[in-house]
Amino acid sequence: MPNVTLRVNGDVVSRDIEARMSLADFLREHANCRSVHLGCEHGVCGACTILIDGRLARSCIALAIALEGADVTTLEGLHADATIAQLRESFHECHGLQCGYCTPGMLVTARDIIQREGETTEKRLREALAGNICRCTGYAGIVASIRHAAEALKQD
Amino acid sequence: MKPNPFNYVRARSISEAIDLLASHAGEAKIMAGGQSLVPMLNLRIAAPDSIIDVTAIPELQQSGETSDGAYFGACVTHERIQRGETPDPSNGLMPRIAARIAYQAVRNRGTIGGSLALADPAADWLTTTVALDATIEWTGPEGPGSCRAEDFVLAAYTTRLGPADVLTGLRIPNLTQQARWGTYKLTRKTGEYAHAMATVVRSSGRSRAVLGATGGAPIRLPQTEDHLTGLKLWDDGAASRLAATMASDLQGVTLQISDVHAWQLRTCLIRAAQMSFGIEAPDMETI
Ligand SMILES: Cc1cc2nc3c(=O)[nH]c(=O)nc-3n(C[C@H](O)[C@H](O)[C@H](O)COP(=O)(O)OP(=O)(O)OC[C@H]3O[C@@H](n4cnc5c(N)ncnc54)[C@H](O)[C@@H]3O)c2cc1C
Repeated sequence: MPNVTLRVNGDVVSRDIEARMSLADFLREHANCRSVHLGCEHGVCGACTILIDGRLARSCIALAIALEGADVTTLEGLHADATIAQLRESFHECHGLQCGYCTPGMLVTARDIIQREGETTEKRLREALAGNICRCTGYAGIVASIRHAAEALKQD
Repeated sequence: MKPNPFNYVRARSISEAIDLLASHAGEAKIMAGGQSLVPMLNLRIAAPDSIIDVTAIPELQQSGETSDGAYFGACVTHERIQRGETPDPSNGLMPRIAARIAYQAVRNRGTIGGSLALADPAADWLTTTVALDATIEWTGPEGPGSCRAEDFVLAAYTTRLGPADVLTGLRIPNLTQQARWGTYKLTRKTGEYAHAMATVVRSSGRSRAVLGATGGAPIRLPQTEDHLTGLKLWDDGAASRLAATMASDLQGVTLQISDVHAWQLRTCLIRAAQMSFGIEAPDMETI
């Protein structure tokens, strides 16, 4: 089996894997990143959203083998990140989750939206969240949480 | 793990990729961003023996200005165009289109060449490149080839590319400063593939009006284009006149288009034309 070496949340992870292994399976099975959730496995639901070299990506439609040398960050790796810390608090405050399945992908995506756009309108937020499906909340709590976090971060 | 097993090879040059494709006799597939191919692998719609990753080939990542426009290597991502990291020959049309393809996580990896090579009828770049009169370039066992975007797609998921051809990039001529564009697509949900789309580029020389998500290749509307070239302002009767020229253009088209689909395409065309006159349509409207 071919070998791949990449960096996951700062640690070097090197494994012999099948070429057909998705990055999502690699992260869950070889790097113990259980925040990476698999929903649709074709890029639509957003539950597996992570960062590759700092950029938002779907780990279910990236092949681990193709990412030799890449720097991958999952929600686990962002536990001390200031934006994520605030989002965590805001999701708690504004009821941003119910079952929690979509939450890791929501948080990683929300961080990206805040970093790129700062405080933004509800309409823009809903557009930017269109690639992350939640089947519990109806999004109202999630949108409120992200607006809450963006505002709190601006005040800091 | 969902896909069938396959070998993975990272090609270092275009000629290496062509050799690999040719030696696998149709059983190998190129991978660029993987944003369409990996879903197809996961669903086992595609089950190639080998996957040839072309993203490490430096030429395919390049973009730059040319004497009369801009060049885009096949592996330029939607996100690079969205962010304005590449030259813009289109007075803002290309960044606007890029920003509305799929979702940010997909735009960060999906490429313009991958979209064109796949030729999903609803792909945004298929319609946009026809509206901008792009030239698409490839190289294969028989050497380099190229054609105008409007001749590139033969049918849904079918292009001029042969089984061992690599799409290398595309050239887009500059729009004049005076050219005005408009674009509109109907989707059920933001980021989803469109049910219908239209892009209009108005200029005093030659205007373009193109329908996309037709179920087949994008459709140019010659009579509508003539009409738009002469049109100086958008008045009360403009929408119905445009609908009439579009209906007459579609009579010459062999592709089957249902009444509902024609209605959707007409809506897009009218909104795109309005936008070219500075009238923005409601952005989040869905069917
Ligand atoms: C959830 C989701 C929503 C999407 N929504 C939209 C949308 O609204 N509009 C839209 O336009 N697209 C949409 N897409 C598709 C996206 O834009 C893809 O990035 C794009 O279609 C394919 O680009 P890629 O680089 O990922 O190609 P890949 O997936 O790597 O390849 C696609 C096909 O093209 C071939 N190929 C790739 N590069 C070359 C090359 N250089 N030469 C020859 N053949 C090549 C491959 O062999 C394969 O058959 C969506 C995708 C997802 C996952």
